[in-house]
Amino acid sequence: MAEQITFAIAALGTVSFAIGVVFFKDAFRAAVSLIGTLLSVALLFIVLMAPFVAAIQVIVYASAIVVLFLFVIAYLGERDEVSGPDRLDPLAVFGWLALFGVGAFGTIAVLTSQFGPDSTPTTTQIGAPTSIGNAFLDQHIIAFEATSLILLVAAVGAVLLAKRAVQLEGGR
Amino acid sequence: MIVPMSAYLILSIVLLGLGMLGVMRRRSPLLLLLSVELMLNAGNIALIGFSRMWDDPSGQVFALVVMVVAAAEVVIGLGLVVAVFRSRMNLDVDEMSSMTG
Repeated sequence: MAEQITFAIAALGTVSFAIGVVFFKDAFRAAVSLIGTLLSVALLFIVLMAPFVAAIQVIVYASAIVVLFLFVIAYLGERDEVSGPDRLDPLAVFGWLALFGVGAFGTIAVLTSQFGPDSTPTTTQIGAPTSIGNAFLDQHIIAFEATSLILLVAAVGAVLLAKRAVQLEGGR
Repeated sequence: MIVPMSAYLILSIVLLGLGMLGVMRRRSPLLLLLSVELMLNAGNIALIGFSRMWDDPSGQVFALVVMVVAAAEVVIGLGLVVAVFRSRMNLDVDEMSSMTG
């Protein structure tokens, strides 16, 4: 019973904060609404017995990444979203088609398919840091190394981007 | 699992749809990135749900990799936003067409 109630709260929070992210005019409010979504998703992870991923979600996602967003929003200052005619408006119908296609196909596929083993154990250790670390280093070592490479490339790329932007303004 | 897996998948579809809607609606690249985060989280919910269903930690490993990719994407994306802002002062994704062939 507790699981259903927690799931309901988390799902409600996820969807309503996500609606805020999509529809708030103010960039700052949209970013703060994203924190709500990410924390609700972390709650879902706890219900799914993945406490380690939930902790990483709160520490990395809801804190570090959102702080980056807020920092850039504060740096760029208050500015209204561009309004007026959109060059891509004639093509909007295809976007809606894709959205409804994905929604309808996904819903039908989920509701009509039978998946998974008959029963899942009620107590399990898959969410423990030990088992995640073992899975990372035993089975997914290439993904692990690729991850570190991605982070390195991102850091170098960010430095180069910033350096070029400064050079364009005449600095070093 | 007391809550059926299909509930998690439906929630994931809803979140993905909201993210797609945001990518379509928003014209500021900053808010576009926020919507992309929503879509990545929709994927993560499905991954963790399947991990629980099969009682296998691989899904959680995938979710962690997705988080790293999201972090890298945000760093590069925000770097681009700031670089474009400094050189052009106008934040509209439709205006950024200098790389069209």
